[in-house]
Amino acid sequence: MVGGFSILLWVGAFLCWIAYGIQYSSDKSASLNNVYLGSVLVLVVILTGVFAYYQEAKSTNIMSSFNNMIPQQAVVIRDSEKKTIPAEQLVVGDIVEVKGGDQIPADVRVLSSQGCRVDNSSLTGESEPQPRSSEFTHENPLETKNICFYSTTCLEGTVTGMVINTGDRTIIGHIASLASGVGNEKTPIAIEIEHFVHIVAGVAVSIGILFFIIAVSLKYRVLDSVIFLIGIIVANVPEGLLGTVTVTLSLTAKRMAKKNCLVKNLEAVETLGSTSIICSDKTGTLTQNRMTVAHLWFDNQIFVADTSEDHSNQVFDQSSSTWASLSKIITLCNRAEFKPGQENVPIMKKAVIGDASEAALLKFSEVILGDVMEIRKRNRKVVEIPFNSTNKFQLSIHETDDPHDKRFLMVMKGAPERILEKCSTIMINGEEHPLDESTAKTFHTAYMELGGLGERVLGFCHLYLPADEFPETYSFDIDAMNFPTSNLCFVGLLSMIDPPRSTVPDAVTKCRSAGIKVIMVTGDHPITAKAIAKSVGIISANSETVEDIAHRLNIPVEQVNQRDAKATVVTGMELNDMSLEQLDEILANYQEIVFARTSPQQKLIIVEGCQRQDAVVAVTGDGVNDSPALKKADIGIAMGIAGSDAAKNAADMVLLDDNFASIVTGVEEGRLIFDNLKKTIAYTLTKNIAELCPFLIYIIAGLPLPIGTITILFIDLGTDIIPSIALAYEKAESDIMNRKPRHKKKDRLVNKQLAVYSYLHIGLMQALGAFLVYFTVYAQEGFLPHTLINLRVEWENDNVNDLEDHYGQEWTRYQREYLEWTGYTAFFVGILVQQIADLIIRKTRRNSIFQQGLFRNKVIWVGIASQIIIGLILSYGLGSVTALSFTMLRAQYWFVAVPHAILIWVYDEVRKLFIRLYPGSWWDKNMYY
Amino acid sequence: MTGLFALCLYVLMQTVDPYTPDYQDQLRSPGVTLRPDVYGEKGLEIVYNVSDNRTWADLTHTLHTFLAGYSPAAQEDSINCTSDQYFFQERFLAPNHTKFSCKFTADMLQNCSGLADPNFGFEEGKPCFIIKMNRIVKFLPSNGSAPRVDCAFLDQPHELRQPLQVEYYPPNGTFSLHYFPYYGKKAQPHYSNPLVAAKLLNVPRNAQVAIVCKVMAEHVTFDNPHDPYEGKVEWKLKIEK
Repeated sequence: MVGGFSILLWVGAFLCWIAYGIQYSSDKSASLNNVYLGSVLVLVVILTGVFAYYQEAKSTNIMSSFNNMIPQQAVVIRDSEKKTIPAEQLVVGDIVEVKGGDQIPADVRVLSSQGCRVDNSSLTGESEPQPRSSEFTHENPLETKNICFYSTTCLEGTVTGMVINTGDRTIIGHIASLASGVGNEKTPIAIEIEHFVHIVAGVAVSIGILFFIIAVSLKYRVLDSVIFLIGIIVANVPEGLLGTVTVTLSLTAKRMAKKNCLVKNLEAVETLGSTSIICSDKTGTLTQNRMTVAHLWFDNQIFVADTSEDHSNQVFDQSSSTWASLSKIITLCNRAEFKPGQENVPIMKKAVIGDASEAALLKFSEVILGDVMEIRKRNRKVVEIPFNSTNKFQLSIHETDDPHDKRFLMVMKGAPERILEKCSTIMINGEEHPLDESTAKTFHTAYMELGGLGERVLGFCHLYLPADEFPETYSFDIDAMNFPTSNLCFVGLLSMIDPPRSTVPDAVTKCRSAGIKVIMVTGDHPITAKAIAKSVGIISANSETVEDIAHRLNIPVEQVNQRDAKATVVTGMELNDMSLEQLDEILANYQEIVFARTSPQQKLIIVEGCQRQDAVVAVTGDGVNDSPALKKADIGIAMGIAGSDAAKNAADMVLLDDNFASIVTGVEEGRLIFDNLKKTIAYTLTKNIAELCPFLIYIIAGLPLPIGTITILFIDLGTDIIPSIALAYEKAESDIMNRKPRHKKKDRLVNKQLAVYSYLHIGLMQALGAFLVYFTVYAQEGFLPHTLINLRVEWENDNVNDLEDHYGQEWTRYQREYLEWTGYTAFFVGILVQQIADLIIRKTRRNSIFQQGLFRNKVIWVGIASQIIIGLILSYGLGSVTALSFTMLRAQYWFVAVPHAILIWVYDEVRKLFIRLYPGSWWDKNMYY
Repeated sequence: MTGLFALCLYVLMQTVDPYTPDYQDQLRSPGVTLRPDVYGEKGLEIVYNVSDNRTWADLTHTLHTFLAGYSPAAQEDSINCTSDQYFFQERFLAPNHTKFSCKFTADMLQNCSGLADPNFGFEEGKPCFIIKMNRIVKFLPSNGSAPRVDCAFLDQPHELRQPLQVEYYPPNGTFSLHYFPYYGKKAQPHYSNPLVAAKLLNVPRNAQVAIVCKVMAEHVTFDNPHDPYEGKVEWKLKIEK
């Protein structure tokens, strides 16, 4: 409610009241017009303010979500008694007990634990449950196993620990204060609008003061000069524009919400469009966030599995009997099950009980073999050893589904090198071959290759237990291990990865052609990160890292010329040792950058580094730990599905489908809205000159006032509102995704060309057209244009009631005033008619209207209709309300300005034609806004 | 652009009729003005002291100046009219392709002409006021009977038992119909508005009174709430002693 236009309007309002005060003190019967005008101005300010406040009130309330995470109760041992106390009463040194399902009440160092696993995902982004024990494993508190963090959840087991930090001093409290401490930067569009307000206010104030001085030196009374000043300010300030911008942004926000981008902060809509660097998470954003079988290796061959979202197209060779054995192992040596009650859900979408790899295998076999549970039923499980980190394998023994085969089948899967150790034979084309040096070598090549793709590789083997040694009644004992676990038959390898979303490579290509640098920032392993980056195009197919070049040329890494590499993978460890300058150098020199093994805090450093490059940075994130980076970024994008509340609160935008591709559609919308805002502003500014000129002419030439301030408000807040919003629906003129992102400091929303073209070209034409209507009305009533010059003093003198016109007719003051209002209405209609032409020319900035299509944007026509209807209502419906100073205007005056309107349109078409014909010429540089 | 503007303006000037305006939307009924015209805070307000001739010298001077335009010399180019009918002129028969105007000379105002009594009755407390009706091209005030001025106290106060007594000049306070219609400045360059003088006979002393003079004619309205000068003129008068 303060700042920019509002200040100007407040000044206008106060001037109005002061003017009335002066009038009233000299003449008790002074008209209340100035009071009304002042009130209307204040009303405009207040409404705009309330509107803006309403929008702001909807934005972040970040601390509240941290409050939501506070655990309510804690079990504490004090005075050798177990007590339950509210968590906020904990102090450092308390011994607390936490069991599965509880939230951790403070940062706790583990004293003893039984099978404790915690969910740290909200803090670190690791989605897998983390085991906790009393051993100290790492210097970094976030990495070590003996600390449980405040607000995370203990999933299973119990833990006893000592409180080491409480409240704001906990890790999460620290992040929370970091997030709220990171200042909310001004959005680029806010800066642009401020810049625009400065321009307009500058014009208004300087013209106002200039003419105030002129008026005073022309011996006008100071009071009159003040009233001129008000008129000039009101004419110059586009009162409706800020509201229009807000509506335009929220329309786009709505459109983006339909495309799964939920925008929390309206201005962020445009920020996304000017983004030049996107720092993207890997898991869930670029990838599908589920392990999927990507490759298989059997019969000495690598097969590729389909990793698309629906898995439908498995084309590898399934005829080999090795595959039959492998598929059996995959199916049977697996504890994962589908949750019940999901018969109608597509296989890939079904929820699974079990860990990520097992789920991937379950779905893989379900897709290829059909009902896995039925197969498992036919091959009854006799006994199993679940996977554990010491054995690194999983084993189960089954009856076979062949009723004549009484042998037991032992199936095993696990880390490939451990599985291979246990094997003496290998199955090739369904036959067992002894495992010799050469086959072991092919195995290793395949294993390395798949590992090099960043995939998690599992080995599979089996053994049919001889029926004579292990009869049907044999009782297996897993503790005694009374069955062989060596000399098995190796069957194959299977590798899994969290595959990229199928829409992502396309989206990355689009970003690249749109001049946006995509940087991957992940906590994952560098090899996996690089593999995913390559598969989605963040590292393009033909670019190499320093290590790649070294490997290709077979020279040490140090000898490679750094400049030859376009891509680089930087790990968190390397980042730790870097100075800010080195980081800047990396960000500036490499086109394709992947940050792997980064800690959440490093994300913030990376974002700040990007911002030092003058880039507009978008950051995606989901964990609590990401919230400082999300806040710091020009636009923080939180994940709607995987994101924590804190991340969503700190972000400006929420991706409802967690999909990177949605960001790209958002960028497109953001760029479009910037273009369209330019058009809206150009449209709005144009008429300001037509509103301003009357006052200038009035002061200099002494004509009866051509347009009243109230009438101006009716244009600014009445007829022009819907058309300027309608421009937001305009389609892009060319492929906006093939342009570079706009430069924050060079590509302004309102540049010199826009201001000059709107003010001095179209604006002046409009003013002339509107004056023509005004002169026509006066002339046809008896006052020819030349008689009007310097008529002002007599015209406005209440005591002259027999003023002669050109024909010798004599006019009373009221008769003249009524004619003056008719003049206002005429001028209003003149502007209105030409604003229709202005609206049509603003549809495009470069293309011809015919290229753009006159009827493609239906809303424009709604806008034009609204303009005409509001105009008709004001003139004919409210023509009798004297306070509004509108009168019934003869129908033919609506057409007086039409030739000017047509000329405006032709003029602009010619302008666009020359811009298209001579790109880069003087014309293009000065006439393209 | 400016060219188009100038062209349009030129076309406009060409299409405008030199003799009569295209529209007279605002001039349905003529305004009425008063001489002498001294304005106070709210409208006409005339205050003078009978015994102090400095207080009314300006007023009579205004009347003399105003009536200078009605001297026989000034009216030389107009013709004498006697009929009490509208003076319609279809063709331009007067010299220089104009139309005739009827003479109105100050002496038609008799006692209020300033000829016999240069003080216009101000000295004796029975002042003359001159009522003028605004010109409107081709305006016909009535259907046959001449428009007549009628003056009275506005909101007559109770203590004033008797109504305002007025002597009108010319007799009956009429504007003769032969001054109508007016054909505009170009057709009738010598036209002068007919006048009616009202000599107020019984204005109370040392009290402010409000007086209204209305023009009574079929086509003259005086009930427009927005326009206090349409078809009537009101003023406040205070004669001190």
